[in-house]
Amino acid sequence: MAPSLAVLAVVTLLPSLYLLVTSFTPLNLTRPETQWDFSQPLISYGQLLQDERLANSVWVQVKLSFWTVTLQLLIGVALALLLNVKSKLLEALRTVFLIPMVLPPIVVAIIWKVIYTPDISPMHQALAAMGWNVPALITDPQWALTSIIIADTWEWFPFTMLMVLAALQMLPQELLDAAKVDGASPWQLTRHVTLPFIQGVLLVAGLFRLIDSIKAFPLIYILTDGGPGSLTEVTNYYSFQQAFNFSYLGFSSAITVVLLAATILLSWIIIRSVGWGTKID
Amino acid sequence: MAKLNRRTLLGGSLAATLAAPAVNAQGGKPYNGVTINASCFQTTYYEYLKNYFPQFQEKTGIKVNFTMQAFPVYNQRTDLELSTKGSAMDVCNVTFIYSGRWIGAGWMTPLDPFFKDAKYTPADWDPDDFVSGAQSAMKNAKGETFAFTHEAGAMLNIASRYDLIEKAGLKMPETFDDLVKVCDAIDGKDGVKAFVADKLHHWNWIPYLMGNGGSVFKAPPENLTPTFASPEGVAAAEWYANLLMKYGPDGQLSYSDDQAMRAQMSGRANMRTQAITWGVPLVKDATSKVAATTRFALMPAGPKGNFPGSNSHGLGIPAGSKKKEAAWEFIKWAFSKETMNMIVEKHGYPSVCRTSVIKSPKFKEVMTLNGQDVAALYLEVLQLGGKTGYMKYRTVPVFPQVGDKINRAIDKIATKQQAAPEAMKQAQTEAVQDLQKAGFKVDP
Repeated sequence: MAPSLAVLAVVTLLPSLYLLVTSFTPLNLTRPETQWDFSQPLISYGQLLQDERLANSVWVQVKLSFWTVTLQLLIGVALALLLNVKSKLLEALRTVFLIPMVLPPIVVAIIWKVIYTPDISPMHQALAAMGWNVPALITDPQWALTSIIIADTWEWFPFTMLMVLAALQMLPQELLDAAKVDGASPWQLTRHVTLPFIQGVLLVAGLFRLIDSIKAFPLIYILTDGGPGSLTEVTNYYSFQQAFNFSYLGFSSAITVVLLAATILLSWIIIRSVGWGTKID
Repeated sequence: MAKLNRRTLLGGSLAATLAAPAVNAQGGKPYNGVTINASCFQTTYYEYLKNYFPQFQEKTGIKVNFTMQAFPVYNQRTDLELSTKGSAMDVCNVTFIYSGRWIGAGWMTPLDPFFKDAKYTPADWDPDDFVSGAQSAMKNAKGETFAFTHEAGAMLNIASRYDLIEKAGLKMPETFDDLVKVCDAIDGKDGVKAFVADKLHHWNWIPYLMGNGGSVFKAPPENLTPTFASPEGVAAAEWYANLLMKYGPDGQLSYSDDQAMRAQMSGRANMRTQAITWGVPLVKDATSKVAATTRFALMPAGPKGNFPGSNSHGLGIPAGSKKKEAAWEFIKWAFSKETMNMIVEKHGYPSVCRTSVIKSPKFKEVMTLNGQDVAALYLEVLQLGGKTGYMKYRTVPVFPQVGDKINRAIDKIATKQQAAPEAMKQAQTEAVQDLQKAGFKVDP
């Protein structure tokens, strides 16, 4: 047990600890003397509070996470329910639906970059042929964030679908039969038997997606670079820019520490309020 | 007699390997077996030059691993790599906007001990032949040189469909007012948008800011108090955002350099004020649909003068490199008069920084495009930049941060998220915070 704990400490805890320690310094790569400067340990945290762009990025993050997680859960569950039938055609379809999820994220981003760039986009060409001149979505302030939400949902709804499908296949037939004998309609079966049964899986899938949405990066990096302006700049991306474009590692570490704490807190609240699943008697 | 076993054999092989360079040195290739890693952002000079790497290897024994990435990716990776003072790179491009930062932080090697020592560099290599304006960004305050330049960017006004301008009874615009007048007259004609720009506003917009009487900083490099939200700055930002949105193609706010060039090359957009490197392919590239109708002119002047952007990029040796001598051999070869002349002659490379090459008849011949002496325009812009030093704002260590604020502010104005005064004021406030974060003092 002790060696495994040591490995865990080295692999997981040490980098996190270093992150925390760095957040108490004004570390700037162009000024090496700042690396172990603890003279003003809370300076980066103070700067966080005055940073309007950071506040904006948190709000963008909230919107992005809310819509992507909600849409991915809804579409994933709906498709899983539709595909939970024994049929060779539907089994093949399941595999097709999984494609977006298994593609490398950068490839997904490039696919959507092509779709969203009017000069080369088949979508824009088709819409123009029908007489609809749609603006360039990723540079239009009304559509920029929505375009990221659409691409992210397309990429990750298969994850929810896959998890729910797996859960549905564990659903005991006796439960459904008993409900049917009691005269339950298809909607009542879904509402009172199926959904309670997959509630735990939905929670896990939702949590995974929520945490992943906070880590959103490739789509934003390739499609919008956080713009136009800062309309699609999420906190994670802002932190990346501070660290790797401007070398403010201390400040970026402080953002990351707060983001990490917020994610843990949010997960705990969700688990507490929703619970891990309801037992069906 | 010593017993021959596996350990003896291995030891013997190791000794032979270590001794190899010395043995080879006697054969005239002192660096035989040495591999150096070099890196730059994507640029045509190295696209052409890499064809001749085998010749360099044949001559010196040095194998070159040369990688190129997109401009922002390269800068980001190199910034991080240099900050570690690691030895992964032996030669790297010193990007103009990062030059102050990389040189100032001590991340690059001074090259003076190499080019001033006859042991390493013959006198006819002639370091003074490099255009002084281009080289100034590659030096520190003490005058030490940290890179030699392979590319000088000189901003010109490049029209891909000059025929449309002529047809409207106009000529290439000479002032900002003229530019709007020409755009009004030609926009949408023949399905061509009048103007195009890439998303790097902190490069494209600044000449309009300065032409309007504004400046990025108060007095760079001494006083870096941001001043771009002045009334002149606000007016210039509003004017430029309007130029983009009224006359530019849809979606151009996300255009890279290459995309903007392709928009011109395919005949979808007409004028662009950008470095010459992005204009020459309109005439020379086999896929260009506008080769016969492309025309070049000086950047239009504003009420306060003409301030076309000029910059330079050079190759230097990272401080952490363990193969500095071999790295210098590569730089010396890549930028020798012979190599540069060859690249100009064989490939028509337009952005050279050696005066002797720029003034050569061959360069003039290569840069006479559609009957126009573009070489003269190129030299004029480089000299303009050198005379008053108005490009100094760009090489201060904090420019990447400040430039980012400008980019986002112009985006916000162009997409009407914010009015120009608010957007510029917010960007300037953020820039001040960033400067303070980086340890710089700004005026109250």
